[in-house]
Amino acid sequence: MRYRVDANLKTELKKFGSKDWNECFHCGNCTAVCPLTENNFLFPRKSIRQAQMGLKNKLASNLDPWLCYFCGDCSKTCPRNANPGEIMMTLRRFMTSVYDWTGLSKKFYTSKSWEIIFIMVMFIAIVAAFGVFLAPARDIFSNASKYIAPESGGVLINSLVPGLNGHQFVKIIEIGDLTMAAIVASLLISNILRMFYFTIIKDKSVSVPFYSYFTEAWQLLFNFISQPKFSKCDNKQYWLGHFLLMSGYVIMFTVIVGLLPKFQVEEIFPWYNWQRILGYYATFGLLFFIVYSIIGRIKKKQIKFKFSHASDWLFLIMLGLTTITGILIHFFRIGGLPAATYIIYVLHLAVLVPMILIEVPFSKWSHLAYRPFAVYFSKLKKAAYKKQASLSEFSKAA
Amino acid sequence: MSEIRIGVYVCWCGTNIAKMVDVEKVADEIAALQNVVIAKNYKYMCSDPGQDLIIQDIKEHNLNRIVVAACSPRIHELTFRKALENAGLNSYMFEMANIREQDSWVHTDRTDATKKAKSLIAAAVNRVRFHEALDKRTVDINPASMVIGGGIAGLTAALEIADSGKKVYLLEKTGQLGGHVAKIDLCYPYFQSAAQFVKPLISKVLKHPQIEVFFNAAVPEIHGYVGNFNAKVKVGSEEHELVFGNIIVATGLKTFNPSVIKEYGYGALPDVVTSLEFEQSLKNGQILTKAGKEPKNVVIIHCVGSRNEKYHHYCSRTCCMTALKYSNQIKSILPDSNVYQLYADMRAFGKGCEELYAETSRKNIVFMMFDQRGDLPVVSKAGTQDKCEMLVNFHELLSSTDVEVPADMVILMVGTEAHENAKEIARAVGISMCGNEFYIEKHPKLDPVATTTDGVYIVGGCQSPKDIPDSVSQAKAAAARILATICKGKVEVEVTTAVVNEDVCCGCQTCVKVCPYTAISYIEDRNVSYVNEVLCKGCGTCGSACPSGAIRCRHFTDVQILSQIEGLMEMVLIEDE
Repeated sequence: MRYRVDANLKTELKKFGSKDWNECFHCGNCTAVCPLTENNFLFPRKSIRQAQMGLKNKLASNLDPWLCYFCGDCSKTCPRNANPGEIMMTLRRFMTSVYDWTGLSKKFYTSKSWEIIFIMVMFIAIVAAFGVFLAPARDIFSNASKYIAPESGGVLINSLVPGLNGHQFVKIIEIGDLTMAAIVASLLISNILRMFYFTIIKDKSVSVPFYSYFTEAWQLLFNFISQPKFSKCDNKQYWLGHFLLMSGYVIMFTVIVGLLPKFQVEEIFPWYNWQRILGYYATFGLLFFIVYSIIGRIKKKQIKFKFSHASDWLFLIMLGLTTITGILIHFFRIGGLPAATYIIYVLHLAVLVPMILIEVPFSKWSHLAYRPFAVYFSKLKKAAYKKQASLSEFSKAA
Repeated sequence: MSEIRIGVYVCWCGTNIAKMVDVEKVADEIAALQNVVIAKNYKYMCSDPGQDLIIQDIKEHNLNRIVVAACSPRIHELTFRKALENAGLNSYMFEMANIREQDSWVHTDRTDATKKAKSLIAAAVNRVRFHEALDKRTVDINPASMVIGGGIAGLTAALEIADSGKKVYLLEKTGQLGGHVAKIDLCYPYFQSAAQFVKPLISKVLKHPQIEVFFNAAVPEIHGYVGNFNAKVKVGSEEHELVFGNIIVATGLKTFNPSVIKEYGYGALPDVVTSLEFEQSLKNGQILTKAGKEPKNVVIIHCVGSRNEKYHHYCSRTCCMTALKYSNQIKSILPDSNVYQLYADMRAFGKGCEELYAETSRKNIVFMMFDQRGDLPVVSKAGTQDKCEMLVNFHELLSSTDVEVPADMVILMVGTEAHENAKEIARAVGISMCGNEFYIEKHPKLDPVATTTDGVYIVGGCQSPKDIPDSVSQAKAAAARILATICKGKVEVEVTTAVVNEDVCCGCQTCVKVCPYTAISYIEDRNVSYVNEVLCKGCGTCGSACPSGAIRCRHFTDVQILSQIEGLMEMVLIEDE
């Protein structure tokens, strides 16, 4: 199989982050220190070389950037300050745009204005939708006590919109949630299928043995939950931060999308109730990560935070706003402030929806889906390499 | 004949010799040999105190023969001969035993090495007994010089000598001066215009009252020896008789013809060009394909004919940097073009060169590595769907991937090689060549512009591929060497020459045939051979070939050599008993 060399890919890749692709002179120090390196998976030098030469098809079949957690060991070792870890991040952004059939991913990654305009439009649309279709009762300010449960003193959150009972209000929000989840899921699934096509079907260097599709399937869940590869990196703090974020995010997402009727209820549960425990854990996880990352990205002391792409900041800001508004809803509800609860609730959704719609299928959060699949696919490739090696050994012996 | 009194000095050479040879024991045992008056060991014999030791002993103990057991005579024989002279002894009453290169450096057993040292010194002692005093001879130097080749090296050397007021005959085989440098547009690494410095150089040479330029000159027949060469230079039908004292060979080199490498398609594909052809289009100020279009993709292939066992295994030295220069020029003339560099090994030595490499590599140029030992890149015509004129297919080493590179123009960085007539010139001036038909210098480190033939110097590309600064430095070095001998007015010639005993010579002329320096002639009326002692290098070929034993080689007489062998064997026999 011959691959076309393209000098212009480097220029294109610059828009996805890393600015200087030419510093690397392939000494291989990064490969030597990378805990992920093994036969046929040479992190991160191999991917850098493919990018330098503009081997677009080869890059499209490359899974390595997904397996990398950017511990920064490679960038610390690099004698040329080429920042190989950041190059892997850049390639991840590039690959997201390759898998994405809508072309929106590329637009969001390479143009700040596209991303900001999309967020603004979604924000305004949601605020307007609430204003028009789910406007609160007029006496929410003047007659606040009417919307407060007398026994607990908490806001009756599902009864703020006149004409709708609590069940109906939650139902409408749930339908919205599920629609959003369906859009995101269908985009992700179709893009994962494309990822499968590019990395396994189109890569003629491997032929995956059929049984391994089943024997390696457990990798999907295992890697999704525990991120064992990340813990190989030198700095365990990163693994912890990342794990807190990931588990917090998944819990939040499951609770608000799948279990909304059980979660968004009008009674105030005692603190030890499961809803509250899960909520507090998730909120702590998200907050810890956001604060840690923002401080890191401002200080630029750690290698993984040295360079920030526009999408990195936007993601932190959106996630931060979502988390803060979520926390505020909680306090305003318990504090018995119906008007403030309602306003913050709308704002919460107005930042949450565009964040999910951009981040999950098109941007940084897509790795939540791509990474476990990348691990799975890479295990398939390894099984293929193993089979090839044993076959060639067999033929040698014969 | 007075009594033979030999002084023997065993050198430690720091630890070089002393660590492997028991120098004290050797000196003690050698002292017992016949005629040895004194045998000493010392840390560094070549040092001033070491030499003073010899001088003092000569005076004190009335020594008349000296043996120094130390390093190779190539390094310090002259040093010790001088010391003998200072002490009032004839410098040929000296013999050196090499117990470093031939002993301590190559052995690992101290006992064996010590034994060998004794044998070698005994051989030298035996030999030195039969040494004879020889007198130095000098010849006058003709102050004119001949420079062969009018490239940058030849021009520089000619001007350097002529500016001191000495005559220079400059021979150029073509009709114009300047050589390859005159064909170059800009020079790496600082992008200076070559014309800017080579044109003034040419006009200065042409106008110089002391320089006589012979254009379209054939390789002359040269006779004579250092200080007194003569030649007949043919220019067309004219013939010029020239007399001169020194020769500078600055014949340069030529570029490799890439049409023998079928993979590159030179000659078959119109837009595959050599670096020199591309240089011409840069000089004309535009980069266009044969169809008159601006190329979108330019592929530069390195090491064409160089560093490849099939063609030339050596590095042509200038091509890597020239390729980087092209990349920069292409990018500045056609900013939207893509430049691909296919190299086997980037070599960026030299002042400013690594900097040029670093700067160029930041310009979005794709550097790719191919394996010279494996299959070379293959240039072929592209199909209509390829969106380019040609494709270059090869296995890229750093990514271990088979790749195709789009190309509208392919530049072959052709290597350099010796001229076809390099051998002819070598024979004419009496110098030798190494395996690649480049001329051999006298010493690769310490005498890089002289040759083994006195009065003949090699500068520039004819010695090995070279860039402009190196060629110019060599030219100036050779000019300085020549001016030094001219200043002296006389030059010492070898005295260890052959001499014919005319009473014994039968006039068979065997010696005339075997002499590699054409130093022996036959004198018909006396029916004997005659050795021209200025030309003779004392190689001894004639002495061993002479059937009647009429030829005696001074300082290498039969009795000297035989007694040396005897000394060597005697010690071996004694030790074995």
